[in-house]
Amino acid sequence: MIMMTNRQWLMTGAVVVLLLMLPLFLPNFWLANILGRAMVYGIVALSLTFLAHYGGFISLAQTMMAGVAGYAVAMMAPTAIPLGPLAMSYGYAIPLAVLAATLTGALVGLIAVNTREIYLLMITLALAVGFSLFAQSNTQWFRGYEGIRNIVGPEVFGMPFRTHLVFYYVALITAVLMYLLVLYVVRTPFGLALQAVRDSARRTSAIGFSVALHRIGAFALAGFIAGCGGVLITFYNIGITPSSIGLWPTVAVLIMAVIGGLGHPLGAFLGALIYAVMDTFASSIIGHDRFNTLIGLVFLTIVLISPDGVWGIGKRLAGLGGGKEPITDPVAKLTAGGK
Amino acid sequence: MTSNSALPTDTDALVLTGVGRRFGALAAVSNVNMTIKQGERRAVLGPNGAGKTTLFNTICGDFPPTSGRIHLFGQDISRLKPHQRARLGIGRTYQTSLLFTGLSVLENLYLAVRGARKGRFSMLKAGPGDADVAYARALADRVRVTQLLSAQVDAISHGQRRQVEIGMALAGNPKLLMLDEPAAGLSAAERPELVALIRSLPRDLTLVLIEHDMDVALSNSDIVTVMKDGVVVVENTPDLIADDPVVQSIYLGGGH
Repeated sequence: MIMMTNRQWLMTGAVVVLLLMLPLFLPNFWLANILGRAMVYGIVALSLTFLAHYGGFISLAQTMMAGVAGYAVAMMAPTAIPLGPLAMSYGYAIPLAVLAATLTGALVGLIAVNTREIYLLMITLALAVGFSLFAQSNTQWFRGYEGIRNIVGPEVFGMPFRTHLVFYYVALITAVLMYLLVLYVVRTPFGLALQAVRDSARRTSAIGFSVALHRIGAFALAGFIAGCGGVLITFYNIGITPSSIGLWPTVAVLIMAVIGGLGHPLGAFLGALIYAVMDTFASSIIGHDRFNTLIGLVFLTIVLISPDGVWGIGKRLAGLGGGKEPITDPVAKLTAGGK
Repeated sequence: MTSNSALPTDTDALVLTGVGRRFGALAAVSNVNMTIKQGERRAVLGPNGAGKTTLFNTICGDFPPTSGRIHLFGQDISRLKPHQRARLGIGRTYQTSLLFTGLSVLENLYLAVRGARKGRFSMLKAGPGDADVAYARALADRVRVTQLLSAQVDAISHGQRRQVEIGMALAGNPKLLMLDEPAAGLSAAERPELVALIRSLPRDLTLVLIEHDMDVALSNSDIVTVMKDGVVVVENTPDLIADDPVVQSIYLGGGH
């Protein structure tokens, strides 16, 4: 269904099997606090990579969309402290929260529909910061500075969500599904038209597509992806606060996506992994106060050496190793016959 | 062609009534009246800056007219957006190729096919034996880019891009096809192929052609419109237009 060559399928399958088996080898800390965390933040970064690579939109509103889902699930969570007036079971709260993020994505797309490049960046940044400040000052629903606590997530097969294994596997499955979703959608008429808008908006409308609707649709899908990440991040943090969706977390998602490489959906997860590793171990090496310096230097180095990030380095290394781009059947690539 | 009273009829493919387009103080096109019959081949000639491409853009909706009305088969399209006009049956090419450079030739053509019908938002991939993909392949055959189906558009030559452009303009089975200098930048060897392609178009298709190459323009049109400084100066049949003193002074007089 999804366009990959046999070799790529084989490699993807091997990586997924490896990730599935990792709990046999790795300590819980690595599973949940490094890999699990990288996967849930990677989903939010993926939402940005999807918009940037296939639509040509650099948006800073992805953390905000994730935050909308996080706050929505927190307000509706049956375990929330303080308990909200909308409390319901997680079975309803989670899909509703993702829906809220999807609608928020569409709304951001609608607001930014006629802006490009630096103006799009500014508008989405303003929306992100505005939402965070709103959450901080609204005490009735968003519980102000304190946020909403004890969002522990549903039980899965009778086990608490926060069990390392449960969290790891749910994060892994969601991340793989989102990754495959992006790879699939970009080969459908909707996804192809999105890339068409990126390459020439004028020509896209000249063949009958509404450019505005496609942009809004792309932001809605990005909101859906970010929302799935936002719900999991809220479970990971056992709650949500305004500072977790403020300026720094917003920029952090951009850093993850750029470090990993905006040229491929995989880059989002690579970048999130590097970020998580550095965030965790920087304190023991150079002290926690210096984390920003360190991540800034890594960011600078990677952007200077390889503008398409770690993924770009990997791609060039694979090219050096004599791995040739396989010749693909163009029709198979476009139709479900493609492997 | 000068009165505003002539109401558009069913056999009129395109009727422009007092169409003008201003950019600030600059009147790029002013008071153009034009009636193009269904199945007619119309060439638009004129020196650089005459307003030919601007006129195209007002018809296709990229720059809607600032004055006047445009009727397509009797329907007023003056205020419609470009994609709405495309759905009503206008296909066009651009002076400089505007293609989706990050996609393959087949994907460009396939998108042009999908843009012409419902399901533009479809998030389902085409199945095996999909009719739209098959049609996109047939278009590739027609504009002779079959060998390039999987090539990414930014890797193909200028001449091949021109052919893909025409294939995309034809994808929606347009009733009105507008070609903006299709021969521009083509080699002498590529031109006859283009002319053959234009001649092979179905006879009921209405064609409007901007062309600098007089031979290509005159040999492929029923009526020629000559523009200068944003206004129509002469409209006549090809055999008479070359002898027109006004045309000779502005077009041929310039050392052509």
